[in-house]
Amino acid sequence: MKSIDPRINRLNLPENNDGKEVLDKLEQWETYEVFHQKKRGDQHVHVGIVHAANPELAIIMAKEAFGRRRQTANLWVVKSSAVTATDYDDQDIFETTPEKTYREASDYYCMDRIRKYQQEHGIKDRKEDRRKKKESV
Amino acid sequence: MNYNETQLIAIKEFLYKIADDQLIIGHRNSEWTGLGPLVEEDIAFSSIAQDKIGQAQHIYEILHSLGEADADTIAFTRSAADFKSCHLAEYPIGEYDFSLMRNFLFNHAEKIRFEMLADTSLEQLGKLAKKYRGEIKYHTMHADTWVKQLGRANEESHARMQTALNETFNLALGIFEESEYAGELKNMGIFEGEDILQQKWIEAITPILEAATLVIPDKNTWQPVYGGRKGYHTEYLEPMLEEMGEVFRLDPKAEW
Amino acid sequence: MYGNAQIDSKDKARSLTEGEDPIKLAEFEARIIRGEKIEPKDWMPAAYRKQLIRMIEQHAHSEIIGALPEGTWITRAPGFRRKLALMAKVQDEVGHAQLLYSAAETLGKTRENMINDLINGKSKYSNVFNYPAMTWADTAIIAWLIDAGAIINQVTNSKGSYGPYCRALERICSEESFHLKYGHDNVVFLSTGTQQQREMVQDALNRWWTPIMHFHGPPDKVSQHTEVLMRWKVKMASNDDMRYRFLDEYVPKIWDLGLTIPDPKLCKNEETGVWEYTEPDWDEFKRVINGDGPCNKERLQVRRWAEEKGAWVRRALLKAETKYTIPLA
Repeated sequence: MKSIDPRINRLNLPENNDGKEVLDKLEQWETYEVFHQKKRGDQHVHVGIVHAANPELAIIMAKEAFGRRRQTANLWVVKSSAVTATDYDDQDIFETTPEKTYREASDYYCMDRIRKYQQEHGIKDRKEDRRKKKESV
Repeated sequence: MNYNETQLIAIKEFLYKIADDQLIIGHRNSEWTGLGPLVEEDIAFSSIAQDKIGQAQHIYEILHSLGEADADTIAFTRSAADFKSCHLAEYPIGEYDFSLMRNFLFNHAEKIRFEMLADTSLEQLGKLAKKYRGEIKYHTMHADTWVKQLGRANEESHARMQTALNETFNLALGIFEESEYAGELKNMGIFEGEDILQQKWIEAITPILEAATLVIPDKNTWQPVYGGRKGYHTEYLEPMLEEMGEVFRLDPKAEW
Repeated sequence: MYGNAQIDSKDKARSLTEGEDPIKLAEFEARIIRGEKIEPKDWMPAAYRKQLIRMIEQHAHSEIIGALPEGTWITRAPGFRRKLALMAKVQDEVGHAQLLYSAAETLGKTRENMINDLINGKSKYSNVFNYPAMTWADTAIIAWLIDAGAIINQVTNSKGSYGPYCRALERICSEESFHLKYGHDNVVFLSTGTQQQREMVQDALNRWWTPIMHFHGPPDKVSQHTEVLMRWKVKMASNDDMRYRFLDEYVPKIWDLGLTIPDPKLCKNEETGVWEYTEPDWDEFKRVINGDGPCNKERLQVRRWAEEKGAWVRRALLKAETKYTIPLA
C-alpha cells in the first residue's frame, strides 16, 4: 500500500485488511489509578488511569501520561482493583453533614449577649471605647 | 574564554558529535509516534524523542555562539558527510525490540557523558548537562524497565531482546569512537575521554542486562562500528536528512 | 478531537426509554436537571450508556487516527520550533485518546474491544481524518481550523451529564489551547510569508474547506431522539449550532489573513446574523464515512499494523492472574 507519508511507506503495509480481531482479552493489561502531587506540600489528587502490566511500568507510563504537561513533584499508582469506594447509592449517608452548623465557626455569634450584659451592669466595653476615641480625633 | 584555532575545532567537533547523535536518534524515535504497542507507551516514547531533539537544539545554539550557523540551518541543511553522529543513531526504527535496545544502550552512554560533563570547563555545555540530568534519568529509567521486563518475560521476548542486543552492540561501541582532538579536550578540561566513558558504560549496563537475563557479546568478538564521527555514514543517513529537510529546504530563507 | 452523538438507525424504531423503570428514570432525569453529574456506578438507562459509549469511543478513535495525517509531517517539519511543537501536539492527541478510552471504559466496554472494533471498521471516527495531508500547509490548516471545530464541540460537551467524560474534556480543553495557537501561528507565517508559502496554504485551505464544513456533522433533523438526548445532556447542541459558532468565530479570522474561502456564497446575513453558505456535499460525507474516502483503508491498516507489531510486547508481560476491573472514575 502506497502512502504520501514516507514513514508509513517504510512500514510496507499489506494491501488488504483481513478483518481479523487483533487484540486478545486482557491484552491491554490492568488499570492503575494515578494520583498526582503538583508541588511538595500539596495533596496528591486523582487524575485518571493508566494501563500497565505491573506497578513499575505503571509509574513509567504515568510519568508521561500525567506529568508531561503539568508541574509535578510526585506520583502514586494504585491498582484499580485495590481501591474500595463508597456506593453512590449510599451518598445519603453524607446528606446531613452540611446541616451540623455547630461545627462551623460561623455558627458562633454572641456580641448581642455581651452588649446586653454590659448595658445592664454598666460595664465599659474597651474595644468600643477605643473605637470612639479614634473617631473623635 | 579565548581559544586558539585547534582548540576551537576540537570543541566544535565535540559539540557537533553530541548534538548530531541526539538529533538523529530523536528523529528516528519520533517515527514511532502513533505506532507504539500501547497508547501510554506511545506517549512516553515520543516524549523522550522530543526531549532529545530539544537538547540537540540547545547544543546547536552553543555552536552558533561559537561562530557556526544558526540551529535550524545546522540541522536542516547539512548533508550526511557533515554529520558527526554515530551509526547506531541513524539505523531505521526496525521493530520495537530494536528501538528499545538502541535507546537503552545510547541513553546510558549519554547519561554518563552528561555526568562527566557536569564539571567541564566549557561552561555553557556544563550548564546544559546539569539541566538535562532529570530528563536523561527518565530516559534510562524507561529503557531499564522495558529491557529488564522484556528480557525476562517469555521465550519470544527474551529471544527478541537478545537478538536486538547482538545487532546493536557493535553499533553502540561506535559511540565511543575517539576524536583526533581527544588530547586537546582533556588538556582544556572539557572531557576526560571516550575510553573512560566506554568503561563506565560497560559497568553501568552489565548489571541491568544481567538482571534482564541477557548476554553481552564476548569481548573478543567486539567489532566497534566506527566512521560516523568522521562523517562516514551508512546509506540510511542521507535519505533521512533529505526527508527531515524536505520542507525547510524549499526555502531556507523563509520563515516557517 | 471530535465528538458528537450520532443516532444509530436501528435505534430509530424504538424509543430510547422503552423498558426502563419509570421511577429510576425519573430520579436519573431529575439529577441531570439539578445539574449533577452521573457517575460510573449510577443507574442509567441502557440507551444512555450505549450512546455515551459510542460517542466517547468515537471521540477516542478520532484522536488516535487524527495523529496520522499530522504525523505524516513530523519527520519533515521545517525548523526546530515547528518540529518540537508538532511532536508535542501529536503526543497530546494520543494522550487525549488515552483519556477518552479511559472514560469510555468506566461504562463497561474494554479497551481491547474498542480497538478491535476500530480496526474492523465497526466503530467510526471523525470523517475529516479520512482525507490526506498533502503538504506541510495542510497540517497548519488542520491544526488551526479542525482543532478549532473540535474545541467548540469539546467546550460544549464538557458541560454534559456524564462525570468521567466531562473531566476528560476539561483536561483536553486545557491542553488544546496551545494546539489552536500553534495552528493559527503556523497559518499566519505561511499566509504572510513568501509567494510559495502563501500559495501552499491557500491551496490547502481550498482542499480542506469541504471536510471542515462536514466536520460538525449533517444538518439536524429535529427528532424525538434529539430531544431525549438533549434532556439527558448527552447531546448539548445541534450540529448546525456548532457549525454556526465555528463560522462566526473563524471565517473573519481567515479573511483577515487575506486568504479566500472556496465558497462564493459564504457570507453573514447582516439582518438575521446567520451565516449563509453553499450546502456541502452530504453524499460525499456519507460515502467517506462508510469507507469510501481517500485514506480510510490506509488509516485502519496503519492501526492494524501498530497493534499487530506490538502484540508480542503486550502478550509477553500479560500475567496469567490478570483480572480486569472497570476503572472507577
